[in-house]
Amino acid sequence: MKQRVLPSAVAALMLAGAAVLAAGPEQAVTFSADERAAILAHGPWPPPRHPDPSNRVSGNRDAISLGRRLFFDTRLSLDGRQSCATCHDPATAFADGKPRGIGRALVDRNAIALANLGLNRWFGWAGAADSLWAQSIHPIVDVKELGLTAEQLRDRLAAAPAIAAAYTHLFQAAVAHDAAERVLVNAAKALAAFQETIVTGRTPFDDFRDALERSDTRSMAHYPRPAQRGLAIFVGKGNCTACHFGPNFTSGEFEDVGVPHFAEQGRVDAGRHGGIAALRASPFNLLSPYSDNADKAAGVPTRHVEQQHRNWGEFRVPSLRNVARTAPYMHNGSLATLQDVVRHYSELNEERLHGHAGRRLLRPLRLTPQEAADLVAFLETLSGEISFGP
Amino acid sequence: MRPMVVAITLLWLLGFGTAAANEPRPIVDAHIHYSDDTWSVVPPPEAIKVLRQAGVKKAFVSSSSDDGTQMLRKVAPDLIVPVLRPYRRRGEIGTWVRDPTIVPHVEARLKVNTYAGIGEFHVFGADADLPVMRRLVELAKERKIFLHAHSDADAVERIFRQDPDARVLWAHSGFDQPDNVRAMLAKHKRLWADLAFRNDYAPSAKLDASWRQLMLDFPDRFMVGTDTPSPERWYYVVEHASFSRKWLADLPADVADNIAFRNAELLAAWALGQ
Repeated sequence: MKQRVLPSAVAALMLAGAAVLAAGPEQAVTFSADERAAILAHGPWPPPRHPDPSNRVSGNRDAISLGRRLFFDTRLSLDGRQSCATCHDPATAFADGKPRGIGRALVDRNAIALANLGLNRWFGWAGAADSLWAQSIHPIVDVKELGLTAEQLRDRLAAAPAIAAAYTHLFQAAVAHDAAERVLVNAAKALAAFQETIVTGRTPFDDFRDALERSDTRSMAHYPRPAQRGLAIFVGKGNCTACHFGPNFTSGEFEDVGVPHFAEQGRVDAGRHGGIAALRASPFNLLSPYSDNADKAAGVPTRHVEQQHRNWGEFRVPSLRNVARTAPYMHNGSLATLQDVVRHYSELNEERLHGHAGRRLLRPLRLTPQEAADLVAFLETLSGEISFGP
Repeated sequence: MRPMVVAITLLWLLGFGTAAANEPRPIVDAHIHYSDDTWSVVPPPEAIKVLRQAGVKKAFVSSSSDDGTQMLRKVAPDLIVPVLRPYRRRGEIGTWVRDPTIVPHVEARLKVNTYAGIGEFHVFGADADLPVMRRLVELAKERKIFLHAHSDADAVERIFRQDPDARVLWAHSGFDQPDNVRAMLAKHKRLWADLAFRNDYAPSAKLDASWRQLMLDFPDRFMVGTDTPSPERWYYVVEHASFSRKWLADLPADVADNIAFRNAELLAAWALGQ
């Protein structure tokens, strides 16, 4: 039985939209052919989902079950007080609502919301991992997060009979006698199998998008007018689709959007630049023996990704699905609300940006208050029900 | 005396004489900004410390506002080669060339401070023929200083049409392709090109063949530069210098030295009358 979390914001918005329609006709929003094409490119939703070829237990029901158990288990932290769910709480859309994550200590970055992860190519704010299972290793061993060594993890799993039995059943090896690093990888693969099941459902936007595709104006009219106007800004004047495109509203890549990235005075979070270095040095990347993808084809991007000057200060372009539920925003949680995010892009300090080979992708949007409110209204229609297995 | 000579010779043979050769190659960073949002988070002494840690012997610094450049020069006059950015504050990057009040600002600064150049400014295409840009070209000519232009080839051509004797440092080599850079360098003998904020000439710090040949053919025309448009990027200067030293090692030593520091030193010395 899958669990579902109903986003109250969606229900409220739908009521708000209905209220707008009930209040009387507003000027209809019309979309150009280009805008229509851009809107349709944000679907259909949900997209087909595929198992991860680098993880032999991806999609395996027993692995999902073990992964779920581990995800909520505080045995995975050194002092037995934290679990993955401490920072990725289902009650807060698998984020934590804090600017920066707090595990055993304050970390440098915002706890990114976990959903639709099977669509990612790189993982984490800096893309330091090229698979969900490799990404899942990081918080287990990071001293600021869960803080276990591989040996400690093995000992703890071996001491838990139900987990040890599930491990043996799944990986055909006794956890107590498996190599510690192998146990770490296998636990991470089970965690990844579970996290792949965390998906977001259809949204008011998806219904509008599909109605637009059918030219079903009657159904389209159910989509609130402020959201329609905000959508027009999103695909038009705002040029938001330059980075937030496709069904998951993300390029899956990394950009510098002018957010300061000092971790503290005198110490910079290098973002993607450091992420690439960590990825290439990782013993768990897709070129490693731990990848179950026999021909290592999944590791081709890892083999070829190169550090570039522009990567300094680039961070993940996050998906915008459920964005209204995952405040605060940006890699360091420095913007508290969606209104703050829209203001950031509206008043962008473009001189600190260099863009790609001198071509400026971002310019200050200079939105009017009404336009900013409409853009937020649109973003709020990207919330859908979260489900996760098993 | 003789025992001392022998001792010195022995020390040299034992490797002390090669110490200088093992020193990191000096760098003149031809593309640094120290703009207003940087001053409080990377104070002048810290900024100078970063440059020295990177083994930078001189830095061409231009800032929004120019006060940033003056602050650094005050702390380390030996290190800072001041270049006058026409922007008085952040946010003028896209408007300055149509703003006539820029001209008296630049003229006033030139009267009270010493500069090796005017720039880095952003101007593209026909905008380079607008009155404000024309006046900057005149001022550079009057002062015998260079222009640091973040421009496309078209704008650089227009600058040279205004003053065929102008000396132009082409920021980022125009983000142009090597064939086009070659054509520009061949056509304009007083055009230099910095390599800031681009990786295509040395992916993974290994020189691309076409760029390598270009550098060998024009060994006295290229310079390296980090570009620090944001405060955080100051903490990339050290890594950028290491990156530069890696790919420079793929060139003959004299060419590498030219690009690492000598070309920039000569341009600065000309501009500053040294």
